[in-house]
Amino acid sequence: MGTSTLHLEIPASGVYLSVVRAAATGLAAQLQFTYEEIDDLRIAVDEACTQLLARRGSAETLCIDYHLEPAELRVDVSVEAPDRGDPLAKDTFAWQILTALTDEVSERADDSGLHLSFRKHGGRT
Amino acid sequence: MSDLPFDANAATDPRDPQAVRDHDNHFADLEDSQNLTEDLAKLSSERGVDRAYAKDLFRRFVETRNPALREELVGIHLPLVEYLARRFRNRGEPLEDLIQVGTIGLLKAIDRFDLEREVEFSTYATPTIVGELKRHFRDKGWAVRVPRRLQELNLSLNKVVAELSQEIGRSPTISEIAAKVRLSEEEVLEGLDTSNAYAVISLDAPAGGEDAPTVSEHIGSEDEGLEALEYRAALGPLIAELPERERRILYLRFFRGMTQSQIAARLGISQMHVSRLLNRTLGLLRAGLLAEDESG
Repeated sequence: MGTSTLHLEIPASGVYLSVVRAAATGLAAQLQFTYEEIDDLRIAVDEACTQLLARRGSAETLCIDYHLEPAELRVDVSVEAPDRGDPLAKDTFAWQILTALTDEVSERADDSGLHLSFRKHGGRT
Repeated sequence: MSDLPFDANAATDPRDPQAVRDHDNHFADLEDSQNLTEDLAKLSSERGVDRAYAKDLFRRFVETRNPALREELVGIHLPLVEYLARRFRNRGEPLEDLIQVGTIGLLKAIDRFDLEREVEFSTYATPTIVGELKRHFRDKGWAVRVPRRLQELNLSLNKVVAELSQEIGRSPTISEIAAKVRLSEEEVLEGLDTSNAYAVISLDAPAGGEDAPTVSEHIGSEDEGLEALEYRAALGPLIAELPERERRILYLRFFRGMTQSQIAARLGISQMHVSRLLNRTLGLLRAGLLAEDESG
């Protein structure tokens, strides 16, 4: 099984985070994540999206890419908000949350905007 | 007549079956101010609020702004807050929390009440208190009523997840849960989705049966890491306001890297209970972050 990718675009508002969580939940279930792993994933998705929403400036869209790999889900959250500095400083509570809940967190800012990504291993195979 | 698509008012509330009986259908919509006014009139007579006395208190409070008078005014009108808070109780939040939220609304109303107005204070205060309660739910995305079918599903899932975890010694997968409850994975997911948007059990209820200690009894008096948490978080004021139990869970999960199950074992509560507390707390912390653009 190779990598499958799902791309989700939502209006940049907290109102739609339930959709983002639901998608993550469904995909993680496909990967046979346990209930607890799914819950961690949902919190991480919430946190990453909320952090970028808080820095979105005038951006109208939040993008979420889910990459399904064997026993791993990679999530990239991004918002078009160039020139707005680092997506998330590493000495914040939010960063601490993301690193505690997932296996690898990264952030970057480039011409396309702000990105927050993480990987979460899980599932029983 | 209720125009709700679901009979949400007949919700099963494990904390208090009385809540179900108490819940009048016409209160499904709090905008129904006609009914509200009538019931409020009943309330005042039942509670024996002495309006003349209250009015006199107000007069003195407006003149002096004496905090003791304000406190007495709060005390007098607390039944109103309780009454209104109860209307929201089957949405999954402990009544005490709702009363606290409602009291904030009451304080605002007391501070703004103008004696020149030809209205009873309760009439004036009700929209403010209800507004505060609604905002509380809206901030958390809990304004949506959950259909009874999902509430029931959620309750049975709580049980099954706990049983399966015990049985197999780890958190179960969705397919394992689905097999056990004889539902499709999709239905299980739907139920779990409900779970954290909508805390169904009381967080202060004993977690492991009759004799189990409550969560708060498990919590040690201090943990030096908590200070570090507050310092590193730069969320100081928000975190300082959290109950100690919630702060401790935050600390154990995010700074000690303990899993929900490990925390659950340590505190003597279920993993799903930890999950609910964690989700609720983070929801509160995030509410401040996005508050400015959701209020407009």
